Amino acid sequence: MKTDDQEKVSIGAYIALAFAVVFFSGLLKSNEWYGIFDFTTLNGSFGNLLKDTAGGTTYFRGAGGNGARDGFMFALSLVPTCMFALGMIAVLEHFGALKAARKLLTPILRPIMGIPGTTGLAIIGSLQSTDVGAGLTKSLVDEGELNETEKNIFTAFQFSGGALIVNFFGSGAILFTLTDSTGAAVPGSIGLALSVMFVFKIVGANIMRFYLKTIDKKATNKEMTTKTAEAN
Amino acid sequence: MSAAPESKKMITDVFVEGARKGWNIGIGSIIPNIMMAFIIIKVLSMTGFLGILSTVFGPVMALFGVPGEGAAVLMAAVMSMGGAVGVTVGLLSEGVLQARDLAILAPAIYLMGSTIQYAGRILGVVGTDGRHYPIMFGICILNALMAMFVMNILV
Repeated sequence: MKTDDQEKVSIGAYIALAFAVVFFSGLLKSNEWYGIFDFTTLNGSFGNLLKDTAGGTTYFRGAGGNGARDGFMFALSLVPTCMFALGMIAVLEHFGALKAARKLLTPILRPIMGIPGTTGLAIIGSLQSTDVGAGLTKSLVDEGELNETEKNIFTAFQFSGGALIVNFFGSGAILFTLTDSTGAAVPGSIGLALSVMFVFKIVGANIMRFYLKTIDKKATNKEMTTKTAEAN
Repeated sequence: MSAAPESKKMITDVFVEGARKGWNIGIGSIIPNIMMAFIIIKVLSMTGFLGILSTVFGPVMALFGVPGEGAAVLMAAVMSMGGAVGVTVGLLSEGVLQARDLAILAPAIYLMGSTIQYAGRILGVVGTDGRHYPIMFGICILNALMAMFVMNILV
C-alpha cells in the first residue's frame, strides 16, 4: 500500500520520522529492553584489551599514545558509530522519514522565514547536500520563483550549518558518544544538538531578513536587477 | 506476499548501503582529519601555543562555559567541520576539554563550519551578491556563538 506518488506521505513515513526522533534523542537510553530504540545503546562499546603482561585492561584505542598514530587509532574507533548512524539514516529515509519531515516542516518554515512554498524540496535537499540545496535554489531563482530578497534569506539558511544532517551524523554525532578523562559522558544528546542547530539556522535566516529589510533596504532597491551570476 | 515486488531492495541492503557510505566518510574524512588534528595539537602543545590560546581566549570563551583552548576548535571549524571535530577530540584526549565542553561546542562547529568551502559551493552557485558575503559569514559566526550560549544553559 505504498504511495508511488511523491506528494502523498503515508502513515508509515510519519512512524519512521517519529522513530527517528526518539532513536536519536537519547530518551530511551537504557540497558532495559527498550534500549533497543536508542542509538547510543545499540551503538554499544568496544571490549577492553589487555594493557600489558602484568595484567589490567585498556580501551580499544590503547593507553599512553600520542601524535599521528594515537590519532589514527582514536579515529578508527569512531568509524563504527558513523557507519551505524548513516546506515540507520538510510533505512529511515527509505521509509519516508524525510518526506514526512518535509510535509510537516514546510508549512511552518515558510512563514517563519518569509520564503515561498516552492522552496520545500530545496529546504530538505539542503539539509542533506549543500550542492543539491544550492543547485535547486539557483534554478528557483532562474525560474523567477524567488526574488533577490528571498534568495538571500534562503541562502543564509543554507550557509550556516550546510548539509546539516549528513555532516552532523557523519562526524559530529560521534562527539556525543565520548567520555572525558574523568570518565564523564558528554551531556545532552544528538537530538538536542540537532534541534539547537536547526533553530539557529532559522534564526540566521531571520537575521538576514531583518538586515535586508532595514539596513540594506536602500541598496537593494537600487540594485534590484544587478546579479553577480558567477561570483566566487 | 503482494507487497514484495513493489520495492525490490531488502531493508538490510538499504542499511548496508548507508553503512558503506559511513565507512567511506570514515576513511575519507574522519580518520585523515582527526589524525591531522592530533598532529597539529601535539605541535601546538609542544610549542606552548596552546597555553597562549588558553590565556588569550580564556575570558571570552568563559562566557560560554568553555576553556580558552575551545577557540582552536572554532578556528578549525571555519576551514572544515571534520577538522574541527578532530581538534575537539584531540583536545579531549589531552584532557584540555571536558565532556560538557564538547556538548557546548558541537552545534557551534556545524553552524559556522566549512564556511570557506561553502562560500564557493553555496554562495557562488546561488550567485549571492559579493557585498552580502560579510553578513553571510557574520550570521554563521553569530549563530555559532548564540548556540554555545544556549547549550551552556541547557547542558
